[in-house]
Amino acid sequence: MTAIFLEGLTKQYGRLTAVAGLSLEVGEGEILGFLGLNGAGKTTTIRILLDLLRPTSGRAKIFGHDCQSDGLAARAMVGYLPSELGLYPDLTGRQVLDLMSKLGPRAVDAKYVGQLQERLSLPDRDLGRKLREYSSGMKRKLGIIQAFQADPPLLILDEPTEGLDPLMQEAFYQLLADVQRRGRTVFFSSHVLSEVERVCERVALLRQGELVLLSTVEECRRLAARTVRVTFQSNVPAPVGYEIVESGPRLWVLRVAGPLGPLLRDLAALPVEDLHVSEAKLEDAVRHFYSGDAQ
Amino acid sequence: MTALLLHSLQRVRTLVLVIGLLLALLQVILILVATSLDTGGQFAQLATLLPPFVRALLGPSVTAFLSFGGIVSLGYFEPGVIFAIIGLAIAVGTRIAYEVEVGFIDLILARPVARHLVVTRAILVSVLSLIFVVGLMLAATWIALQTLAPVAAEKPSATMIVGLALNLGLLALAWSSISLAIASASRRRGVAAGIAGVSALVMFLLDYVARLWEPAHRISWLSPFAYFDPLSMVTGATLPMGHVVVLIGIALGGFALAYAFFLRRDISK
Repeated sequence: MTAIFLEGLTKQYGRLTAVAGLSLEVGEGEILGFLGLNGAGKTTTIRILLDLLRPTSGRAKIFGHDCQSDGLAARAMVGYLPSELGLYPDLTGRQVLDLMSKLGPRAVDAKYVGQLQERLSLPDRDLGRKLREYSSGMKRKLGIIQAFQADPPLLILDEPTEGLDPLMQEAFYQLLADVQRRGRTVFFSSHVLSEVERVCERVALLRQGELVLLSTVEECRRLAARTVRVTFQSNVPAPVGYEIVESGPRLWVLRVAGPLGPLLRDLAALPVEDLHVSEAKLEDAVRHFYSGDAQ
Repeated sequence: MTALLLHSLQRVRTLVLVIGLLLALLQVILILVATSLDTGGQFAQLATLLPPFVRALLGPSVTAFLSFGGIVSLGYFEPGVIFAIIGLAIAVGTRIAYEVEVGFIDLILARPVARHLVVTRAILVSVLSLIFVVGLMLAATWIALQTLAPVAAEKPSATMIVGLALNLGLLALAWSSISLAIASASRRRGVAAGIAGVSALVMFLLDYVARLWEPAHRISWLSPFAYFDPLSMVTGATLPMGHVVVLIGIALGGFALAYAFFLRRDISK
């Protein structure tokens, strides 16, 4: 079943187009990384899914429920973590969790909340404190717990690891893996490529409101240029026909997109001492999409 | 809905309690002052102390004001009281804009909570807050009249006091609805409260000037304060049904606009 369905989604503010004709499907049980620079339209898309913003045109559906005309049913399936948690500083963490649980359609399992607290190191003692005493990391943990506590079928997370220390980021990734194992879908907005690469199966990349890349992480890596470092036993001429990162009499550092066969054929005639191929990273694949030189 | 309503009532409870207790205390103080003047037989002396032009300006109501009942009733139309209760109405009515401003509403509306329930909850909070404050004022007046006023004093009638309180409460409700309508279309509470506050002041001055200057009288009907006429009630008239209808009409109109604005708007900081 399709967890999220977007078709020709457009949002304009006067002359400014925040999202332009976005079409996208996220399958049930999938973790999709929603990438883009600030202002690319990620948060606008999320807010349309939650019916906080009304699209200029196009449709958005969650588990088949139209986000505008059947928004209550759509949002009944969602746990949402905003990029900034807008809460009153005089509330305690416990009060926030209680209020949010009462507003949702699903009963909250206290045992599961306890597990979330334990994994994210937010004990009862901290939940009893007022939010004004919380650090940004503690607020983030509270935000994650309120989004996850009802164990909803779809989690929409906007920059979830912002403010978390590396240890907590790791705990969060484990949490994502767990919910995915139980068939939950995660729509995960981020600009941290390394974490998207680690936890997501597919990525969608927005640039200036337009979807410029929709692919599996593996496919991205496969298409990405790899860095090849070749050292020679004696001086060789500069390489021709390759993207050169660095070149010296006995050293080539090249970026090679696609199969390595042609390069290996060229190297066969040269006094190669050592050859090292770096694995392509998601960052390598999407960097040029960010910079705007990709079609 | 209940959880959200209770949460919202908790958010305003301190403000409502403080304003309510201050206004209730004022009723007690006024009854103590009236008791003191009545015991010393000073009401008649006060009337003679007034300059002739003031007496001419006040007309026959001067006798009504300079009486035990007149002093007690002052607690329901003294400008400080009016501004306190309208200030409370604006503060409570514009909370919805604050919820948008801080992003709290994002968390609420990301749940299966209908937008109209968010507005309904805001209306209920406004109405309950005003009922509580006006109720506290009435209770303070009644208790103080029973316990502090001289037995022989000419106490104001219950009809008059309840009529004044009802008129004041409806006036505040009208401003509450105007504030809510403005806030429902706003992203900043300060802006919404500023617009509502300045509008209230302008309308108050319009009504005040119209009572003294005939040309302004022609447009004074535009002011909600034109439908708050405590002077005639103190001199014996009953609360005009027309005023009740107009003030309720303003309140309903404001609430309808609040629904229309909030249901259609984009929620963004």
